[in-house]
Amino acid sequence: MPIIEVDHLTKEYQLGHLTSLKETALNAMRRLTFQTVQQRERFKALDDVSFSIEEGEVVGIIGHNGAGKSTLLKHLANISKPTKGKVTVRGSVAPLIEVGAGVHPELTGRENIFLNGAILGIPKKIIKQKLDEIIEFSELEQFIDTPVKKYSSGMQVKLGFSIATTMEADILIVDEVLAVGDLMFQQKCIERMESLIKKQGRTVLIVGHNIRQLERICSRVILLDHGKISKDGNPSEVCGVFFREAQDRTLIRHTHIEGLITPQKDAGVLRVLQVEIVDDNGESAKYASFHDPLTFKVIFEINTELIRPEVVIGVHTSDFVHILSVSNALPDIRPDLKIGKYVLTCQLSDIPIRPGSYNLRLAFLDQHRNMLWYAENIMPINIVAGRFNITRLPEVGLIDVPANWSFNIH
Amino acid sequence: MLKIAVNLFKYRELIAALAWKNIIVRYKQAYLGIVWAVLKPVMLMLIFTLVRSFVGIESDNLPYPLLTFAALLPWIFFQESASEGVISVTSNAPLVKKIYFPREVFPLTAMVTKIVELTISFIILAAMMFYYKIIPTIYALWVPVIIFYTMVVALTISFFGAAMNVYYRDVSQALPVALSLLMYGSPIMYPLSLVRKTLVEEQAAGVWSNDLYSLYVLNPLAGIIDSFQKVLLKGLPPDWNVILPGLILTIMVLPFSYLFFKRAESWFADVI
Repeated sequence: MPIIEVDHLTKEYQLGHLTSLKETALNAMRRLTFQTVQQRERFKALDDVSFSIEEGEVVGIIGHNGAGKSTLLKHLANISKPTKGKVTVRGSVAPLIEVGAGVHPELTGRENIFLNGAILGIPKKIIKQKLDEIIEFSELEQFIDTPVKKYSSGMQVKLGFSIATTMEADILIVDEVLAVGDLMFQQKCIERMESLIKKQGRTVLIVGHNIRQLERICSRVILLDHGKISKDGNPSEVCGVFFREAQDRTLIRHTHIEGLITPQKDAGVLRVLQVEIVDDNGESAKYASFHDPLTFKVIFEINTELIRPEVVIGVHTSDFVHILSVSNALPDIRPDLKIGKYVLTCQLSDIPIRPGSYNLRLAFLDQHRNMLWYAENIMPINIVAGRFNITRLPEVGLIDVPANWSFNIH
Repeated sequence: MLKIAVNLFKYRELIAALAWKNIIVRYKQAYLGIVWAVLKPVMLMLIFTLVRSFVGIESDNLPYPLLTFAALLPWIFFQESASEGVISVTSNAPLVKKIYFPREVFPLTAMVTKIVELTISFIILAAMMFYYKIIPTIYALWVPVIIFYTMVVALTISFFGAAMNVYYRDVSQALPVALSLLMYGSPIMYPLSLVRKTLVEEQAAGVWSNDLYSLYVLNPLAGIIDSFQKVLLKGLPPDWNVILPGLILTIMVLPFSYLFFKRAESWFADVI
């Protein structure tokens, strides 16, 4: 028997706020006189969602902001009630929905452990037994008798997470908590989650935006889109779909036109009118393909004469890791430019960057390498698998270089 | 009723922890700490005593400060439990939104918290009785029953009020006004015997007198305060004629109040 059953779950919220007294009175009058009442606009946060989860499954729930992920978790944790449909949960639930919900700033860390434990329904006896373990895990030995209001926000979350994961429930519901604390603590959290999942065979539901982490931990992933399940199944497959959808969405802007972004540096001598990537025929392209040539086209205008300018074009990830840059200084193609409008094209003969969504940066420098114009995040560059049969393998690295292999008998 | 008791037992650890938190948080950064809890009844007692020295109120042959303090003790317990109970759900909005447990834990906790302050008031009352050399009789055993009845009355208001307050915050604004009106409608500044004398014996309000008296004792607090004074200070059994109207009203309203709360509960997280 499935441990969680969600049957045609629909949740509607009314938009807008409490109406005025006059409006309420008028509506009551209309109801009494059988006239139609002006209904407030309704919003379907979840729309006819059905699925079931077996014991021991680790299910990730992904989707863009507002897709209904948190609403779904709230129903599973019995915090909200469905408008229509049914949710059956067979077993105790530990809701780690935003850990630290019950942490009170005036109480000390130790006092908060007991309070939070009680809120989560952990018997006092068990908390007492595990007190040392909780304190040790939270790395807050030194501060445990200090009021929580004096903690840093990271310390507060550490405390919350340590308490919540001690709870022995059949089902763990986790909402974005893995993105807490510093890197070391994050690592510890993930290890703890994995031990809860693998060793103790608990059923876990995780909501998050860190798709890579979810793909790693989960045995199944559900993709929500505008309150509906758009895909449910194998993690890498579903994450792949989500990733492509996200890519398609960012594709809407594949040309940069002046005015869309503010350059970080602008000496006022030139204007970048247009930036795009073009295909072999010189047409504006939406994608670039892995291990294929890529051509950038930049249209710019200068209002003073530039002697031997340098142009740098670079690609970076969405978190600003600069992957590569090319400059016209290396082949030393640096003509003097008179006042006027120019079209610059730059062809990379082979893109070694693995499929994914990246971004473009662009710099103009004068002959003494003084920055004239610089901007990052100019426009997204989507690299697709092209003639290679791979989807997205971030764990193997961002760059692929040709390699020669051979096997010989020693 | 039974369900409340069951939940009270099942979630006793949570209620205890939350009540303990409330008390700690309230007094942690206050230099005088828990002294503030007793200041309110003591101040009111002093003011009433002062007022009485001008206007003259009968006090059933008992020292007036003692009589009025014995009235203030259950009254303040009721008043504080009810007003804390009404805001208990809204003031715990972060918890309501994130973790599920039966929501009646909040009004119950508000009431349990007040028991601590009640205990301190009892100590003061005992000291005053010692000072005035009043020895409690066997009827003092009624005190726990009366306090329990006070809790039930406070909960009746808390459940309905707390649920309404989630939807309409007007409730928490209106309640203090209503409660301070009720204070003058309860035998606190003056003894109940005075009301009875004026209305029943002297028929001071003409033909309305008997009805007005019935209305007066419909207020459960009239019965509570009167019996409390009777069993503790006068060594008399409680007067059922005064208690029954209010008790019947409470018993009739409580189930509706509780059901209303339980029905509204499902939408707390969405509305709050």
